[in-house]
Amino acid sequence: MKKISLFVTFILALALALSACGAPAEPAVEEPAATEAPAEATEAAATEAAPAEPFRVAVVMPSTINDLAFGQSMYDALVRVQEEMGGPDAFEFVYSESMFVVDDAAAAIRDYATQDFDLIIAHGSQYGSSLQEIAPDFPDTSFAWGTTVDTFGLPNVFAYEAASHEGGYVNGVIAASLSKSNVIGVVGPIETGDAKLYVDGFKAGVTATNPDITVNVNYIGSFSDVALASEAATTHIAAGADVLTGSAQMVTGAIGKADEAGVLWLGTQSSQASLAPSIVVATQVFHWEVVLMEIIALVNEGTLGGQSFEINLENGGEVIEFNDGYALPDEVKTLAETTVQGIIDGSVTFTLP
Amino acid sequence: MTESNKLPSGQTRIDSLEMLNITKRFPGVLASDHVNFDVKSGEVHALLGENGAGKSTLMKILYGLYHPDEGEILLNDKPVSIASPNDSIGLGIGMIHQHFMLVPTLTVAENVALGLPSTRGFMTDLDQVSKRILELAKIYSLKIDPDAYIWQLSVGQQQRVEIIKALYRGAALLILDEPTAVLTPQEVDELFVIMRQMVKDGHGLIFISHKLHEVVEISNRVTVLRDGRKIGTRPTSEVTKQDLANWMVGREVGFIPDRGVVDRGEARLELNNISCSSDRGTPGLRGVTLEVCSGEILGIAGVSGNGQRELAEVIAGLRKAASGQVVLEGQDVTGLPPAARADRMLSYIPEERMRDGVIREFTVAENMVLREHEKRPYSRAGFLNLGKISRHADELIKRFHVKTPSRDTLAKNLSGGNIQKVVLAREISRAPRVVIAAQPTRGLDIGATEYVREQLLEQRRNGVAIMLISEDLDEILALSDRIAVLYEGRVMDIVPREHATPEKLGLLMAGVHLEESVSVVK
Amino acid sequence: MITDLFSTTVLIGILASGIRLATPYLYAAIGETFSQKSGVLNLGVEGQMLIGSFAAFYVAFTTGNLWLGLLVAMIVGALMGLVMAFVTVNLHAQQGISGIGFYLFGLGLSDLLFQRLIGNVETIKGFEKIYIPGLSDIPGIGQILFNQNILVYGAYLLVPLAWFVLNKTTLGLKIRAVGENPDAADSLGVSVARVRYFTIVLGGALSGIAGASLSIALLNVFQQNMTSGLGFIAVALVYFGAWKPVGVLGGALLFSMVNSLQLWIQVLGIPIPSDIAVMMPYVLTILVLVATVSRVRAPSALTKPFERDE
Repeated sequence: MKKISLFVTFILALALALSACGAPAEPAVEEPAATEAPAEATEAAATEAAPAEPFRVAVVMPSTINDLAFGQSMYDALVRVQEEMGGPDAFEFVYSESMFVVDDAAAAIRDYATQDFDLIIAHGSQYGSSLQEIAPDFPDTSFAWGTTVDTFGLPNVFAYEAASHEGGYVNGVIAASLSKSNVIGVVGPIETGDAKLYVDGFKAGVTATNPDITVNVNYIGSFSDVALASEAATTHIAAGADVLTGSAQMVTGAIGKADEAGVLWLGTQSSQASLAPSIVVATQVFHWEVVLMEIIALVNEGTLGGQSFEINLENGGEVIEFNDGYALPDEVKTLAETTVQGIIDGSVTFTLP
Repeated sequence: MTESNKLPSGQTRIDSLEMLNITKRFPGVLASDHVNFDVKSGEVHALLGENGAGKSTLMKILYGLYHPDEGEILLNDKPVSIASPNDSIGLGIGMIHQHFMLVPTLTVAENVALGLPSTRGFMTDLDQVSKRILELAKIYSLKIDPDAYIWQLSVGQQQRVEIIKALYRGAALLILDEPTAVLTPQEVDELFVIMRQMVKDGHGLIFISHKLHEVVEISNRVTVLRDGRKIGTRPTSEVTKQDLANWMVGREVGFIPDRGVVDRGEARLELNNISCSSDRGTPGLRGVTLEVCSGEILGIAGVSGNGQRELAEVIAGLRKAASGQVVLEGQDVTGLPPAARADRMLSYIPEERMRDGVIREFTVAENMVLREHEKRPYSRAGFLNLGKISRHADELIKRFHVKTPSRDTLAKNLSGGNIQKVVLAREISRAPRVVIAAQPTRGLDIGATEYVREQLLEQRRNGVAIMLISEDLDEILALSDRIAVLYEGRVMDIVPREHATPEKLGLLMAGVHLEESVSVVK
Repeated sequence: MITDLFSTTVLIGILASGIRLATPYLYAAIGETFSQKSGVLNLGVEGQMLIGSFAAFYVAFTTGNLWLGLLVAMIVGALMGLVMAFVTVNLHAQQGISGIGFYLFGLGLSDLLFQRLIGNVETIKGFEKIYIPGLSDIPGIGQILFNQNILVYGAYLLVPLAWFVLNKTTLGLKIRAVGENPDAADSLGVSVARVRYFTIVLGGALSGIAGASLSIALLNVFQQNMTSGLGFIAVALVYFGAWKPVGVLGGALLFSMVNSLQLWIQVLGIPIPSDIAVMMPYVLTILVLVATVSRVRAPSALTKPFERDE
């Protein structure tokens, strides 16, 4: 009996270790010289003293850093911050991905909090209640939580969110200008949060451009069911859609179907052009570094939280990236750029349902 | 000569089989201690012994399920090696297990074909198998439908399938492990007819049983085992039942318990027109009316599955009656939960003692106080009085001769007989008014059985009303004052002890009404 | 708008996508039927699918050979089955717990290998739809049934094949006997261990194919946790199908058809909240299960390790 339970425990432990991979074990990749000769390190510390201390960030996210969506948008932003701040000596970060189980995420957040990180980012709206419990226990550590506007009134929690509806609106304008069948399909995950914001903005953009167009929306009830997202796209295409869009990481399946059928695609969160270069028209790309730089500055000044931030078209946190592989007619591109300007200067306004 | 070498099934006869000096050790136990045993063509050799005497070990060695530490097996005077059931089957040895080795969801033909090569390669050849089954059935006068599913068959029919299965595989020598334990008297008779036919045809049979009268009736020779050792082998005609019983137990056995004369008193338990459903949702009891009086044992006879379990559970309050009343000493308790009935001094010795009688992971002491643990002196204001509980347990262990290393031993580590003693101690020591004893001696050895029966009679002498539910007709006949026979959830008849015979009860158990039997109403 | 549901386009759409969606369920659930019929509950299906899915994708991505990808998916699924068999048959491990262990193992390993070996979500050209002259041209039916890729056809051919093996061969007889009464099978010289090894390894191989059907035939991408609970639904479908291949087929089709129906309900703008719509396949499956549960009986030895003597 004993050897059986031992074996099962071993298997479980192995499984858990593997499923948590790319997590705290990962830092070696981003954090240079962590294992280099200690002599060198002390030497460096002795000669350069305090300023050499890098700004250290940990991030916990529900999906992966290369999901071509929400997770990747944060990872890419951290890489850009690192470049901007002068490389790993000045800024280092670690991450725990695939934390779709909230309890696991909470444990990871708490672990990081005990390890003297300057900033811990809980990159998922589902982590809110965990953070609310953890943050007060570590008053000297700064936390950031997105996407939300709620800091729980805690002095060491920042909140951040994306005005996804803005880029959604622009994508809607582009989609409406390109649709010939006057039917457009949307593949969404769950009707809430960032996805809903994007879809509502998108619908507003379509209707403002051509009120005769039908926008069919399909929420599949999952962030990970690639198969169902792919069937949702097939369904849209069968219903006559010639332009599709969608939000969250499971849309890869939908993009594949759009590519097969030669139907156009508009993306959000991270650039999806690499998946289907011939049909991805444009993507609203999130540049969280805009917000991150502000937060880092505040932390360095001693403000650990209590403020909320937003990325949008105006502050450059959202950028409409056109895919070079797709020959977008000039007048549509111009219209899109005008719309971006209009949203920034306030001449284009719209209301969400 | 060559002709006479063949059995009717076409198989070559096994003239003799000898097991010499067979020794098998299990951790801490010498299960078989240099045992010699032999069987010849054309005889029934009975193997007799209590539980744990080593009968099963010996036969499992012969069938290739165990490997002996010492000893050898000679077949027709030549040594053979039997490493697995496949080997023994190949040598012409078949085994009818006590718990049938049949797959209920498969047909007779599928069960027979299982594990055999097919004439059609990887595809089954059930039509061929069925043909051969019918041939064998004709030769041995066994009625069997190859296409019937096992779950549709009666226990007796299932046993015939087991025999056919062995014959189909060319068995010349058959081991029958407690084959009568699950049969009605009529079915036992039918089995004996088949066995006599097989012996006449030249088969050798090994008959394992602890029912002495059956051994005396069917066997030519008998071997008695005790504690892994052979006590002796005799021609059956030279021994009496009393001899055999004494050899088995190793001391004088009081064979028929002394019942004594007890006056029947007032009715303590009355059932009025009780109906309820079984676990499967089919009718379990259909309008049962019975009463049990002070100072009497009412025996409930019947083939397993005819409502015995439901009857006991309805009385104990574990099963809901769809209609009718349960009356305990004049009070209607139909709607009361089990605990309330127990408080009215109803004791229940359940059929599945390991499942319902004790909590396996609890100690002997804890199990002994299960019923009364919420009452004084065993607990006060919700706190257990462990000292009292321990003293109570020690006392019961002594009084009921429970063989246990200590009161803190877990129930699951006791033997069946000692577990039953724990249950008995708990249920009887509380001075009950009514006792429901369901299969109280099933699976127990002679010594324990004797003890349990003695205790029931003792209670009867004290004026307790006892309902004894048993599938062992001998037990029913030996203990009961009146006998009610259950058939398909109905009481077929209630026969007073003086008028009861195995034949009469057997017919009632099979659902045949007796014109001449005297119905006793009150 | 409700009436739109009954237009030819919509009906063909529902049926065709239902047929596709059912494909991975069929491979995995038929495999699971075999192992459960022999008395082993394999809850690691999801993990085996993920590994198979990744293996097929990786091989196809690097070599461009889809068939090789399929073969490797089968082999790694079977290997996982082999380990599962060792743990359940030889070590008598509690099947539910070890199954979950294998799921987590598959989830983690597929993710790890994906990160290390591929790194980004990529697409490949998967098995193409097969055009069958004549059949594919039949209006309606041709679009629904005969406009699919080879793995879809394979899944449906597997159903009668599984029925045949279970009911008409000596091997099937052994499998059924071992799952109902291993003691009886053992007493007749049938090796319970060998039969269970076979069914668990077969189940693993089929789960591997189920995963491959996603990554190199239906979706042509691989990403982390992309089976998304499909393997667990497949285990449930075995119960739903009363341990019969045809029942499993019925369950897989019902579940998938209702799923594609709810996609259309949303697309057509029928005013049912999306949260309710996505629950439809699950609710309906549970309802059917409740309605039929009384006649369903699991193999008696399911989840019980076999050991000679107590």
